[in-house]
Amino acid sequence: MDNLIEELLPFYALGALTDEERELVEDYLGEHPEVRAQIKEMEFAASALPYSAPPVKPSDRLKKTLMERIAADQRARSSVPVKDSLPRPAKPQNRFMGILQFSFGALSLVVAVMAIALLYGLNRQVSQLQGEVAALKSALVAQANRVEQLNQAFDEVNANLPQATPSALTVFAINGTEVQPDAHGQLMTDPNSHSAVLVVAGLPPLQAGMTYQIWLIEGDTPKSAGLLNVDDYGQGVSILTPDQAFSSFDALGISIEPEEGSLLPTGDIVMLGQFN
Amino acid sequence: MRIKSKSDFPDSSDGSVHEELSDETLVAQVARGDSSALEALYNRYSSTVLGISVRISGDQLIAEEVLQETFWRVWRHAVTYQPQLGSFTAWLFRIARNLVVDLHRKQNSRLQTIRYDGRDALDIDQTPDPNADVPEQVQSSFKQQKVRMALATLPEEQRQVIEMAYFFGMTRQEIAEATGEALGTIHTRARLGLQKLRRELEKQDFEE
Repeated sequence: MDNLIEELLPFYALGALTDEERELVEDYLGEHPEVRAQIKEMEFAASALPYSAPPVKPSDRLKKTLMERIAADQRARSSVPVKDSLPRPAKPQNRFMGILQFSFGALSLVVAVMAIALLYGLNRQVSQLQGEVAALKSALVAQANRVEQLNQAFDEVNANLPQATPSALTVFAINGTEVQPDAHGQLMTDPNSHSAVLVVAGLPPLQAGMTYQIWLIEGDTPKSAGLLNVDDYGQGVSILTPDQAFSSFDALGISIEPEEGSLLPTGDIVMLGQFN
Repeated sequence: MRIKSKSDFPDSSDGSVHEELSDETLVAQVARGDSSALEALYNRYSSTVLGISVRISGDQLIAEEVLQETFWRVWRHAVTYQPQLGSFTAWLFRIARNLVVDLHRKQNSRLQTIRYDGRDALDIDQTPDPNADVPEQVQSSFKQQKVRMALATLPEEQRQVIEMAYFFGMTRQEIAEATGEALGTIHTRARLGLQKLRRELEKQDFEE
């Protein structure tokens, strides 16, 4: 037997191969069915492993939810319209009329079945579309809320930048690094001021216990500019108010840190933007 | 404990008549759309499926989600089950195990090499389940005892490789990396471990 296949077999039985490795084994088994006996022996041992876990009694609620879902599925399946029995055709007067009536009857049946199938298909499409419309409405509401939040954030920054004239406002691009190439954002500020608004998108929500942290970098020295929360759409807005004017910094970076934040960057830098 | 016989079930309307039917018969009934047959299979194996899921994920919510999805898939795909390719329990446990490993992998991009120490990390309700299939519960209990005894005979390093692969869905490369052993050593341990486990299970007349 091929050495690699021999090495892979125990992990195949344990269900711990990568997709590519599993395909390799299955192709080999297709060509060498005699190897299946070995696999069966290993699978026999692997199939016993679930019994080594202590059983856990599920709550009644879980069973109730499952059975309700199944009952709904049964109802949905049984709601497919069923055609009533067709009226018995009159006795044919002659062979030709019989064939004609049979053909007509068969044609009617086919048309009726097609109509029912079409009706059922349309019903399903309508249900599907209703579901999609509901989902879109929900997404629209979420987006409207997000727009409202962004407007509030801009209002806030405007209040914090009373001295900035429109011509003094500068926008810096903040781009995703190779860690998060899809991320993008902008930092809007008067470089001589101590306030800016950072808007980013394309940052995936992090697992529990982790957060994004913003750094303003002067030379080689990063200074924390606060934590950045992103929503389910990967968007985040933060108002920065450093002690120094923005013109004294060279760059802005965003890294992944433990949820309480860090004194210096410890995780991957996911976004970076130069001010020059 | 007395195990119920057919004569104990004068009325099939409560679904308890299913208790004496084989898994294969029940799954065939499920394939025909009989939800009471699915309920019987649920009563028979839900505790074991939830046990595996809790063991692998260490998370009650994920485990409960997997339990429901596993039996939902049995309901929807019972018609694809082929008895000649293996027992129903092997099929059922494979569905559950693959679901929970996939979910666990999605939630933890890098699997932790958590070692199971025999204690339950979660608050687990151990009171008897009034809906449980009693004869099957007794059988399951015997099976658990046999499997634990068989696993206990394996050298620690072989048991570790088997458990990392099965319960944590770790690939052979990940196991080698986590244990600091050469890939060849991991292959040997997995092979010898499964061979010994099979021999020990056969000695104890374990049946799937």
